[in-house]
Amino acid sequence: MANEQIALTLLMGVLLVAVTAFLTRIEDWRSYTPLAGGGGGTAEESGYAREEKPGGLIRWLTTVDHKDIGMLYGTYALATFTIGGLMVMIMRTELLDPAATLIESTTYNGLLTSHGITMLFLFGTPIIAAFSNYFIPLIIGADDMAFPRINAIAFWLLPPGALLIWAGFFVPGLMPAQTAWTMYTPLSAGVGAGTQSGAGVDLMLLGLHLTGVSATMGAINFIATIFTERAEDCTWANLDIFSWTILTQSGLILFAFPLLGSAIVMLLLDRNLGTTFFAVEGGSPILWQHLFWFFGHPEVYILFLPPAGLISLILPKFSGRKLFGFKFVVYSTLAIGVLSFGVWAHHMFTTGIDPRIRGSFMAVSLAIAIPSAVKVFNWITTMWNGKVRLTAPMLFSVGTISNFIIGGITGVFLAAIPVDLVLHDTYYVVGHFHYIVMGVLGFMSFAGLYYWFPIFTGRMYQRTLAKWHFWLTFVGTQLTFFAMLLLGYLGMPRRYATYDFSIGPVEPVTALHQVATLGAFLIAIGFVIHVWNFVQSWSEGPIIEDGDPWNLRETNQYTREWQWHHRRMQTTIADGGEGDEEGEESRFATDGGEVDDADGDGADDANIDTDADDSSADTDTVEN
Amino acid sequence: MDEQPGLSEQYRRASAWPLFVALGLPLAEIGVLFGLVPVAVGGLLLFVGSIAGITQESGYVERPWNLLAGLGGVLLVLGAVLALSQIPFSAGALTAALASNGLVVRGVSIVIAGFVAIGVGGVGRFVEPQSV
Repeated sequence: MANEQIALTLLMGVLLVAVTAFLTRIEDWRSYTPLAGGGGGTAEESGYAREEKPGGLIRWLTTVDHKDIGMLYGTYALATFTIGGLMVMIMRTELLDPAATLIESTTYNGLLTSHGITMLFLFGTPIIAAFSNYFIPLIIGADDMAFPRINAIAFWLLPPGALLIWAGFFVPGLMPAQTAWTMYTPLSAGVGAGTQSGAGVDLMLLGLHLTGVSATMGAINFIATIFTERAEDCTWANLDIFSWTILTQSGLILFAFPLLGSAIVMLLLDRNLGTTFFAVEGGSPILWQHLFWFFGHPEVYILFLPPAGLISLILPKFSGRKLFGFKFVVYSTLAIGVLSFGVWAHHMFTTGIDPRIRGSFMAVSLAIAIPSAVKVFNWITTMWNGKVRLTAPMLFSVGTISNFIIGGITGVFLAAIPVDLVLHDTYYVVGHFHYIVMGVLGFMSFAGLYYWFPIFTGRMYQRTLAKWHFWLTFVGTQLTFFAMLLLGYLGMPRRYATYDFSIGPVEPVTALHQVATLGAFLIAIGFVIHVWNFVQSWSEGPIIEDGDPWNLRETNQYTREWQWHHRRMQTTIADGGEGDEEGEESRFATDGGEVDDADGDGADDANIDTDADDSSADTDTVEN
Repeated sequence: MDEQPGLSEQYRRASAWPLFVALGLPLAEIGVLFGLVPVAVGGLLLFVGSIAGITQESGYVERPWNLLAGLGGVLLVLGAVLALSQIPFSAGALTAALASNGLVVRGVSIVIAGFVAIGVGGVGRFVEPQSV
């Protein structure tokens, strides 16, 4: 024990000395660019322009530029999505047959827990932050985020958070947490069979706490940025839809995540220091469920609203029309944001809470269907009579709408108490929420990555591969998650590593599990194609020399981030050597529709333009 | 940045501190939660040191030392409250409790970090010839 303490002390000492040495070195570098960030810049320092950011790895470790941080968030999110995806591929493979043939059930439980937490907290929130960090300041005409350094701190809290959450898998002597992402007490308090009393759960809770701190810091930053950093011509009246959804999401984070942090600290105290917040003889295990779901349900909308904003942003661009009913889409966003705090107990219908309370929560839960439907109808109406261009981002947006309809309507069923009592804790619930988290958040993440790919990279992705990605993902999603809905109807409980249902000679439960696994593999293949496309196109894709690769000017939807991109291209000194890709460029650069336009006739175009003008009459002021 | 992309290049867009603020916080949390005194002390020092550094870099304070000492004082008080809530105020009781009471260990580790921060802040305040 004493030796361990000495070793730890030495280790920490070395770390602190190394940090100090590193900072001293950085400070030396800083000494010839003496301008403190908070002090702003002046034209005289233009000679230091190249020193604004250091080169290489140090640039990425020290950047406070919102675009760089957006890139860091995006890279991180794709990495965590890969890891969370690998976890679920192991689980789905295990579920191909009823017995525990591939992994033990404890490993399955650990993977299940980590898959959920990874996808929600390490992929979902960060991928949204990737888009919002990069684009919100550009869209609203801000120089940067209101607090660039806090922005960087928020990102850098995530890697340690991920390591802590996964620590149980790779630290010798630790077991991964098997609490599921909901961490229900008394299991997660380490009592009962005692399997969850290890430090693996504590580390997971600490990691989760860190990601919550990170999300809260980010949310405060976005609220401050959108309130105070807008350009003069960006008013509340013409604030774009994506900023509205990020603002609403940030508000939800601000109210929800600190509560999660507090509840986690209470749970850690219960586990380590003998408090009884969630003990049967203390505050009761149900208290955990109340606190968790008061956070947990808004979390659903934290993950849904920004992707919905992306649909509202991207859909009109490839429909040749303004977003239909812009104001009502904003109102529905705000309404969902408010209502999301009044529905948490619908996760607890089977816990024996007062039936009158259940009734009121059912009513509010059903009410959320109204603003959700407002969004769906406005999206459909936006496409109606439009000049629809089925580019990759558009395909993902349209696919998202269909996924959201299935995910949303299954949610309406689950909100009804009698249905929920039957389907609670079955695969129906898993299918329902995966239609939202994969079908909406996952899909719109891909849509955003494709839509803004030219801005990220200055190049265009490969259209054919992107469409392969979409169709594999779409078909895979339907196979996997619709099979789960059916499994739920058959009574298959969620979170089980094994199953033993024989219903007649055909064993439908086994068959449906196999269908779900097949779909998961299709999604995985699609994702591999996506990563290949992304990486290869980034390095070798045709250079985009047009500041408007999607032909947005045609429909008067050339938004601010593209204008910024265009100006950047004009002011960037040409790096040369790209002329040999001209031929490819004309082929690839037209996923936006130049080729499609050429295919269509002029009359259509004229009609579309007219439509666009008509529809823009009442929305010109609100969609820039 | 938007209006004149060329001009924007003058703004400083790098800071060494956020990474270490974000490293200090988890180390401090792990150390305090598990009662690992060296990790708790090191993590807290890294955290408050980076806070002082980033605050100074952002121009909110001219020199970091007063803030560092002040944060050390906060840690000192918090740690002392935690430790003393468990035992009567005497050195003998403290020594005995260190072996048996986890909360006292944690409190004392926070106090140590506070002491060191105050020390570094105090020394830096008088030694440093000019602002960094």
